Amino acid sequence: MPDTSLLTDDIRALAGVEHRLEPVRVTLRSVRRALEVYFGAPQPVTFADGDRVPGYAIAAFESDGESERPDIPHLLPNSLLISNDWQFERPLRLGEEFTRVYAITNIAERFGGRFGYSIDFRSEIRYIDADGAITARSGSTMTQYDAQSARGGGDAS
Amino acid sequence: MTVAYETLREGDELPVLELAPGLGQVIRYLALNWVFPEFFFDAAAAKAQGMPGTLVPGPLKLGLLYRAVDQWLGDSGFIREVRAAHRRPDLTARPITIAGRVARVYAEAGARRADLELAVINQEGQPSVRGFAVVQFFAPT
Repeated sequence: MPDTSLLTDDIRALAGVEHRLEPVRVTLRSVRRALEVYFGAPQPVTFADGDRVPGYAIAAFESDGESERPDIPHLLPNSLLISNDWQFERPLRLGEEFTRVYAITNIAERFGGRFGYSIDFRSEIRYIDADGAITARSGSTMTQYDAQSARGGGDAS
Repeated sequence: MTVAYETLREGDELPVLELAPGLGQVIRYLALNWVFPEFFFDAAAAKAQGMPGTLVPGPLKLGLLYRAVDQWLGDSGFIREVRAAHRRPDLTARPITIAGRVARVYAEAGARRADLELAVINQEGQPSVRGFAVVQFFAPT
């Protein structure tokens, strides 16, 4: 465990800084691919423009614009996903386009617990529709830790 | 199947979803996201990192929770939120069970909603993911 907090003012200042990502469009292909991922095999897809589509179509966009996001600083040698979530204000519809904003929304450190000293980075992508309304959010929390001082456990995912 | 808000009760259980996400499904997930950490598809690479074998990515398990809720909800409404807290790794091709129950049925801001408690249970009966979802029912027509 470090003698002092690794959360400097520069690190803390990363929270809340917004980065606009390239827009995305809900296409038949993105829906078909997401369905195939979560069912493990191709699924019949019969949606027409304007139809409601399953929210996991959002998964097809999560890597788009990755190069436009700032890297999360590596403060400790190990990292893993501890939680993630999707939120929807309304169903997504085939054919609609979203602008997107990425931000690290929270940075917190923990002393003790199964990872020993660890730092959590919560990041989020907001999906904004043509009317300027936030339609969906995709969020995740990664924890950084030092496996040498952790008590074990966790999902390396 | 579909479910009706009017007959929904706290404690109602969702149909159990039995799955065994295999390497093919994991590779589809990695391709969708265009990220390819070798330990997700190469058993030797996973073992070199101290893992017992290739793992099911956590975000894929979030989508499986979504699928379980979506299949139960049908056309009655939409999923407002689904969350996954990852507790343990799941090895690829091992059976997992997705279970859920209705924790709360309520009206909020003029909308009819329900909170659901969810879990991914591994072969040993341990929860590998604790999940939560909020669904919103469409207004009657």
